[in-house]
Amino acid sequence: MESPVRKILVYIDGSEESVTAAQYAVVLAKTLRAELTAIYVINTRALDDLVKSRIFLTSEQEEYAHDIEKDAERYLNHVKNLAAQKGVTLRPVKKRGTPFLEIKSEIEAWGVDLFVIGEISKIRSRRDEFFNETERAMRNVRCSVLMVKDEEHVWKIYDEFA
Amino acid sequence: MALIDLISENVVKVPMEAATKRAAIEELVAVLVQAGKVKDKDRILEAVLKRENLGSTGLEKGIAVPHAKAEEVPSLTLAIGISFTGVDFGAIDGKPSKVFFLILAAPDQSGPHIEALAEIARMTRSETFCRLLTSAVTPKEVVQLFKEE
Repeated sequence: MESPVRKILVYIDGSEESVTAAQYAVVLAKTLRAELTAIYVINTRALDDLVKSRIFLTSEQEEYAHDIEKDAERYLNHVKNLAAQKGVTLRPVKKRGTPFLEIKSEIEAWGVDLFVIGEISKIRSRRDEFFNETERAMRNVRCSVLMVKDEEHVWKIYDEFA
Repeated sequence: MALIDLISENVVKVPMEAATKRAAIEELVAVLVQAGKVKDKDRILEAVLKRENLGSTGLEKGIAVPHAKAEEVPSLTLAIGISFTGVDFGAIDGKPSKVFFLILAAPDQSGPHIEALAEIARMTRSETFCRLLTSAVTPKEVVQLFKEE
């Protein structure tokens, strides 16, 4: 029987939780012989909002956009290396826009079976359901979603995985 | 990371004692030092003041969002201050600022820094929420407001 999971997408947002999710996704991809993609979305919507609300100056918007571009490259390279260490090829994807919309679009365009995310906040507020990009993505995508928890356990699995 | 993860009673100062813009920023940085979130008070103060010199982060409705990125900040961190009397922060509407959000991040944490700032921008669009914040009298009340928002 063919594996029910052939294409995995993991969301990287620069948080430690998202890197842990990538490690778990690497192990899953190799075990299931699935293709693996990591996506980082440069949140240009948030940058625009900050200028509109006058928290940011235009020069600051440009500076932060540049910084986030570098962060995206760095984190995507990092998870690509994590995958390579386990003999897994990871396709890095960098996009710009509203994260949950870009994730949804990538999932539909690439036919993703499983979307992997890092653990989200334990302390909840109603606001998070609307504004947390990971949560918005989780609620809006069509495919199944796996939230990776217990980072120490995941690190152990990753380290011991051949 | 959700904004609520950064908020605990030990990073909230109610009421603030500062009467000037510089003193307000110093007071908020001191809150973070006391809470063990940052160590190098002088360097951080310098970074925040440098940003303020480019243009005030005093917004409408009595809200101010001073912010900076600095190598001395280990991880994204936030302090909230409520001033009962208000501080002249050079706000765009000319009114005194009463609610302060000081957000600090390391230079390599621009993504989470942007999302935290954007979340504050969205929340402070609500006049009701701003009114409730300015009427909070204890750190506990402030934390509770964020949980319920």
